[in-house]
Amino acid sequence: MSRGASLRAAVLASVLGLLVLPARGEQPAGDGWRPFTATWTLSGQRSLLPTEGERPASIVHLTGTLTSTSGEGLGRGLFGEVIGFDDGRRLLAGRAVFTDEHGDRIFCVLEAESIGTGRKATATITGGTGRFAGLEGAFSFAWQYVVEDGSGEVSGRAVNLEGRTRRGPSARSGNGP
Amino acid sequence: MTAGTRTLVARLGVMALGVAIWFWPVPEGLTPPAWHLFAIFAATIASVIAGAFPILTASVLAVGISVLSGVLTPAKAYSGFANGTILLIVVAFLVARAIVKCGLGARLGHLVVKLFGRSTLGLGYSIFLLDAVIAPAFPSDTARSGVLYPLALSLAEGGGSRPDEATRKKMGAYLLFCSMATLSLSSALWLTAMAGNPLGAEIGKSMGFNISFGSWLLASLVPTLIAIAVLPLLIYKVFPPEVKATPGAPAAARKALAEMGPLSLHEKIVAATFVVMVLLWGLAGTLKLDLTAVAFLGLGVLLATGVLTLKDIGQQGDVLATFMWFAILYTLSGQLNALGFMGYLGQRLGGALGGLPWVAAYAILVVAYVLLHYLFVSQTAHVLALFGVFLGVGSQLGVPVPLLGFALLFSTSYMSTITPQASSANVLVVGSGYLTQGELYRLGTITTAFNILLLLLVGTPWLLFVAR
Repeated sequence: MSRGASLRAAVLASVLGLLVLPARGEQPAGDGWRPFTATWTLSGQRSLLPTEGERPASIVHLTGTLTSTSGEGLGRGLFGEVIGFDDGRRLLAGRAVFTDEHGDRIFCVLEAESIGTGRKATATITGGTGRFAGLEGAFSFAWQYVVEDGSGEVSGRAVNLEGRTRRGPSARSGNGP
Repeated sequence: MTAGTRTLVARLGVMALGVAIWFWPVPEGLTPPAWHLFAIFAATIASVIAGAFPILTASVLAVGISVLSGVLTPAKAYSGFANGTILLIVVAFLVARAIVKCGLGARLGHLVVKLFGRSTLGLGYSIFLLDAVIAPAFPSDTARSGVLYPLALSLAEGGGSRPDEATRKKMGAYLLFCSMATLSLSSALWLTAMAGNPLGAEIGKSMGFNISFGSWLLASLVPTLIAIAVLPLLIYKVFPPEVKATPGAPAAARKALAEMGPLSLHEKIVAATFVVMVLLWGLAGTLKLDLTAVAFLGLGVLLATGVLTLKDIGQQGDVLATFMWFAILYTLSGQLNALGFMGYLGQRLGGALGGLPWVAAYAILVVAYVLLHYLFVSQTAHVLALFGVFLGVGSQLGVPVPLLGFALLFSTSYMSTITPQASSANVLVVGSGYLTQGELYRLGTITTAFNILLLLLVGTPWLLFVAR
């Protein structure tokens, strides 16, 4: 194998190694709440419609990885998908769904100021499937940036994402995994 | 081991790699579709690197497997075939063919040879200098490749070098690679020379890192100008053209120009069309024009006036092959990003660097940012997926934000040759037939390594001095 090919093989091996590093464990508090902090990098599409105001209305569909930076309230990381309608003043309706490596899901309702750099949002967890069945909780975050490339392609990063989760009463009584 | 056995071993190896990744437990934080798409993409890239399959074969196998295995929906898997940037490349190929066919390319080539043609190295430098000068007016390096490609092609053909094994290395392979490598520098020199640069500036602004046209130029000036001075020579040394000194070439070019006489009607049509296309590409940002539509309009004029015929179009089989493999890889890489894989990788890497001194973290972040481009088929997509993540991680580790910000943004261009598919601006040269896949990977690695080393060793102190 040539030196160049060896280097490229090493790059691939490093990527694989990075992906399978073990996660750190953390115990929940006595009341069952598990706090967490995370970042969330998203990209996707935004369709715009002019309004009488300064900002256009928009429909957004964003996807990206939420990575925990501390705590285990949402596990180590999840794939998140958001769909929402922004009327130019605020996010009128938004839903998010997070999926883990087994396909188990967490469902959320989003409430937010208009989507843009520096703006804030909150999410309420409304349910889940599999190991997230009966999960309850909430989190909030701010958009560190939201940029658009001119063709409707949007990219953004949510930081200061903080929240907590716990098993709901029905899940704690024995239905959960 | 015979060549056939080597190929068989390579094919079995990449298949084993793909299967092993596919069945490896999905890492926490990723979904099965993201992981399985990574398995397909990694095996595809590995198969090209290992010589198991040509890039077109690997790409069409990959898209077929992606859809039939249910990893991607057909609509998502084929979306690259309607992508404007990819169509721009296809049309630029055909326009370049018209420039060569009508004789204008040869005339341009003779003009450049008359001025710089005493050596092949001189021609290489002329390509780098021309690109550096025109770059700030072109917001797209892909469009700029559409200008440089016909020039390099004409110079090569004028020097008797064609995309065949007997003559391609006379000077064509060297000049064509120069026309690809120059874009990695000109795009870093000017804020407005690459679509991803202003987007990166906007992301940086959200972290208090404000970039203007002037501050960008000042920051890039030293590392990029040194690279422009050295890189044509470096490529010349590691990939020498067979024809080096051409002392009689300027005189021969003058004679050839005299023999060609005045511009023919077709040359005038192509020249006028090309000048208008270049002007509109340059003004595209201001006038909000679509670059691909400009190219289509130009191609339409060339077809309507008979400069190009349907028979000419029918003979461009290479264009179809290029269109297919690039559209497929572009889509697979884009979907890998949409499924959260790229962001996840960036976050995991950042998390692994905690506790390092900022200088070490800075160097690792820059190098990792560059190496991750093996997974990308677009520089702009790379900026959007990873620049903010890496800048945020570096900032938390104490790396000065302007230093890291500029280093990452310059790296986005400096690494544009790391693979043949690393930038849409490479595709015209990759499809030209002058360079093999192996040569493109080798030269791309050398060029990228040189640019990044220069950035780290020379650019870093300069950036610490000027960008605070």
